[in-house]
Amino acid sequence: MEKEEVKQKIYELVEKSVGKKKLKSSDIQKTVSADAGITRDEVKDALRDLIDEGKLIYTYFGGSFVEIPPKE
Amino acid sequence: MPKKYETPLLDELEKGPFPSFVTEIKKAAAKSSMAGDELGQLEKSYRDRRGYWKHGGIVGVRGYGSGVIGRYSSLPEEFPEVANFHTVRINSPSAFFYTSDSLRQMCDIWDKYGSGLTNMHGSTGDIILLGTTTDKLEPIFAEFSSRGWDLGGSGSALRTPSCCVGPARCEWANIDTLDLTYNLTQEFQDEMHRPAFPYKFKFKVAGCAVDCIASIARADCSIIGTWRGKIAVNQAEVANYAKSGMNIQSEIVDMCPTKCMSYDGKELKIKDEDCSRCMHCIAKMTKALKPTGEKGATILMGSKAPFVIGATLSWVIVPFIKLEPPYDEFKDLVRKMWEFWDEHGKNRERIGELIIRRGMREFLEFIGVDPVPQQVKEPRRDPFFFWKEEDFQK
Amino acid sequence: MDLPQRRTDIGPPHYKDFLPPVIQKNYGDWKHHEVLSGGVMVHVGNSGDKVWSVRVASPRLLSTDTIREMADIAQKYCGGYLRFTTRNNVEFLVSDEKNLGPLQDELKAKKYMIGGIGPRISNIVHTQGWIHCHSAATDASGLVKALMDDFADYFTTKTLPNKVRLAVACCTNMCGAVHCSDIAIVAIHRKVPKIDHDKVKNMCEVPSTIAACPTGAISPDPGKKSVKINDDKCMYCGNCFTVCPPLEIHDPEFDGVAIVAGGKVGSLRSDPKFSKLVVPFIKNNPPRWPEVIEAVDKILNAYAKDAIKHERVGEWIERIGWEKFFKVTGLPFTFQHIDDFVIARETFRTSPAFKW
Ligand code: HEM
Ligand code: HEM
Ligand code: HEM
Ligand code: HEM
Ligand code: SF4
Ligand code: SF4
Ligand code: SF4
Ligand code: SF4
Repeated sequence: MEKEEVKQKIYELVEKSVGKKKLKSSDIQKTVSADAGITRDEVKDALRDLIDEGKLIYTYFGGSFVEIPPKE
Repeated sequence: MPKKYETPLLDELEKGPFPSFVTEIKKAAAKSSMAGDELGQLEKSYRDRRGYWKHGGIVGVRGYGSGVIGRYSSLPEEFPEVANFHTVRINSPSAFFYTSDSLRQMCDIWDKYGSGLTNMHGSTGDIILLGTTTDKLEPIFAEFSSRGWDLGGSGSALRTPSCCVGPARCEWANIDTLDLTYNLTQEFQDEMHRPAFPYKFKFKVAGCAVDCIASIARADCSIIGTWRGKIAVNQAEVANYAKSGMNIQSEIVDMCPTKCMSYDGKELKIKDEDCSRCMHCIAKMTKALKPTGEKGATILMGSKAPFVIGATLSWVIVPFIKLEPPYDEFKDLVRKMWEFWDEHGKNRERIGELIIRRGMREFLEFIGVDPVPQQVKEPRRDPFFFWKEEDFQK
Repeated sequence: MDLPQRRTDIGPPHYKDFLPPVIQKNYGDWKHHEVLSGGVMVHVGNSGDKVWSVRVASPRLLSTDTIREMADIAQKYCGGYLRFTTRNNVEFLVSDEKNLGPLQDELKAKKYMIGGIGPRISNIVHTQGWIHCHSAATDASGLVKALMDDFADYFTTKTLPNKVRLAVACCTNMCGAVHCSDIAIVAIHRKVPKIDHDKVKNMCEVPSTIAACPTGAISPDPGKKSVKINDDKCMYCGNCFTVCPPLEIHDPEFDGVAIVAGGKVGSLRSDPKFSKLVVPFIKNNPPRWPEVIEAVDKILNAYAKDAIKHERVGEWIERIGWEKFFKVTGLPFTFQHIDDFVIARETFRTSPAFKW
């Protein structure tokens, strides 16, 4: 699977869970690798890109989570 | 010009022989209006007997999920300069050695972008830069990282590993605590900066059972140096200690927890097979006694503060492991531990709590460590235990 | 503004770059050390080389001005090498014996406190308190300053049966190794959080707030779109406040500190021990907390008088028994001292052999 596609899947997953459940990096890795049949390292790599680009961010809230940045 | 506050209560804490943190805040406040408002707010806390800070939030540097802790005043109108007062954690060098130049370099950057207040060091072992605003975080990171410094850990990540002074200046070190700490920090950079654990994870490395870094009380993974072999006795030095006034019978022999020593006024004898390597005699008679033989470490896991399940000290997982560069055996073990935690851990569950919840057996089997009596103080007290099908095959 | 190029994942600087030459040369090859005074020790290598360490106290909270001053002193007498200890002391590393005297003279002239080595009270490990933490039920720095001013002689010169390690934690998170110290102060809240329902509705995520409570005391209050707290289950930890600030945990009239004692982390002579409760509560009395000092003083004096050489506080108490400890210190024993938490059974006395 192309990295862009993985990134898309990750973003959609995070988007879908807004307001329902905060996702941890490991939740994303587990879910996306199982759904897409790819390794966790591939998901991790794509997630890192998304975060470096600022499309997703880490938040801390009694534990670290991955979320969509708030709109200014 | 920083705003001035009347601080009668805090001024009281400038008196007396011990160096005063109030004086430190005032020194910083002479240059920084942030430090000025910190002083003002603190005086109010002393008057009202309560704190006025709020928890963290979405602050950090691009790409990292740790190293910065958001902190906000709950009285931003009264103390606007500390409305944002974030902490930056800088990864300290092993065993906290510095050169004058490296410290000056840090001070220059911090005076330019922050309050000028620091903690040397936080309880995590990081250099703590106390008080800056969100817009300064990227510049601070650029200034530090371009000069060879990186951020430390925070959140659900590997925290900055730290160690005792070890072989750099201690004759009792059984392992190279500084090198191991540096090596693990470099190996696990991703785990430090991009939080992906259920909760925090701390390594602390002590060179011997004296444990000057308090590893056994505050690390998820405590690495404590030890040896397998005899204690070599230099009888001439024993005689010197006796001559200089040490009562070898009462101070050494009688205090040996395993009663494996004897002294007839001339010769100090140790029954090495009964010695538990507690370090008492060695620490008291450092010139006379030296461990010999194979050097390595005991790996213990699980200590945490009292929250939820009560305080725990780390307990023995691997009684003895060699620790020499590149430390591959140990790193593989650590990766297995993390895999177990990743698979079963809940949000905010420390690895020690998880091991207790799922049972030592499941954990030991997962990481491939055999059960040995060194892992327990005593066996269980009841006959109510589980059997697995494979136990019947043995 | 021009910024240098940022780099990521480089880790800390290599420690070797910061080690004085004498330490690089004798690294891992030390023979023994000797404590020369309350604040000076010398380490001797198998090569015969020596390095002297001069230890001074720091309040941990340091301004850049003070750090620069320390850097200058190290430059002058130590070739520019110094280090910090786990307990927030500063150590000037001297490789030329000639500099030892002048260094100490300058430190004394600049009002540094030299000491902390040997069977004495070293610096106090402590946490942030009102200076920087949201959960704090007391101020750590102020308590530390007040305690150390009082026990200054035990840092610089006077000796005790063994070292005494003190710690201060400003809430039950106990960010340091407070639960294993000879004597430690732990700040506590004592009141169930007061709920501001209107603000909870607007600011808090109910499920996360419920999840934050370690004792399961919080449940939803759908009518108010808020939460309620079961008073009987709450143990005042303040976790919920961290997650949801409208659950106000601070209460100046009821917040204060407890004192615990008898812990240690080393394995010398006896296993590492937890500290145990000796004083359940003392009200905050800034800026100098005189009642706390008085209580710590009682413990320290009884220990200094009674303990056998090399015994740590916890070892002394175990030898004489807790019943005797309360007698010789004069500290009252209360219901709070009897455990009612998970390990309670382990702490009840199961023998009729005890002291009066
Ligand atoms: C619910 C649990 C906890 C929460 C919410 C929490 C929160 C925090 C926060 C917000 C800080 C930053 C303080 C500051 O720099 O202003 C901090 C620091 C720290 N925490 Fe925790 N903590 C928790 C539990 C623990 C536990 C159980 C330990 C240790 C066993 C621990 C060890 C530390 C250490 C060593 C620091 C650094 C403190 C310093 O720099 O003095 N924390 N914690
Ligand atoms: C693993 C847990 C234990 C098991 C399975 C166990 C089982 C037994 C059994 C089967 C008996 C014989 C009962 C009879 O005579 O009909 C017995 C007797 C007894 N047990 Fe235990 N026991 C256990 C632990 C203990 C412990 C921890 C103590 C004391 C601290 C204890 C004290 C006694 C005493 C005093 C007797 C009576 C002996 C006598 O009559 O001579 N037991 N136990
Ligand atoms: C919270 C607990 C403790 C902390 C944070 C702590 C910290 C330290 C520190 C920073 C040093 C200076 C070592 C160095 O860097 O040169 C030290 C030295 C020492 N500590 Fe501790 N310590 C603790 C508890 C203990 C305990 C419980 C013992 C013994 C039972 C102990 C025994 C020693 C000894 C013997 C030294 C001298 C080592 C030397 O001279 O090189 N410490 N400790
Ligand atoms: C249910 C959960 C939360 C509650 C109840 C809460 C509550 C609050 C409150 C009361 C304030 C002060 C607002 C003001 O005085 O203007 C605040 C500020 C802030 N919170 Fe939270 N918060 C929560 C979760 C979070 C989370 C999850 C984040 C980020 C990940 C966050 C980030 C912030 C930030 C950045 C500020 C500072 C805003 C400023 O600078 O004024 N909060 N929060
Ligand atoms: S833990 Fe042991 S090896 Fe490390 S500094 Fe302390 S006494 Fe030395
Ligand atoms: S190290 Fe401890 S157990 Fe071993 S001989 Fe010395 S005092 Fe005894
Ligand atoms: S002990 Fe509590 S109040 Fe103190 S710094 Fe840690 S979390 Fe904050
Ligand atoms: S203070 Fe602690 S125990 Fe009490 S309700 Fe809040 S989280 Fe639960």
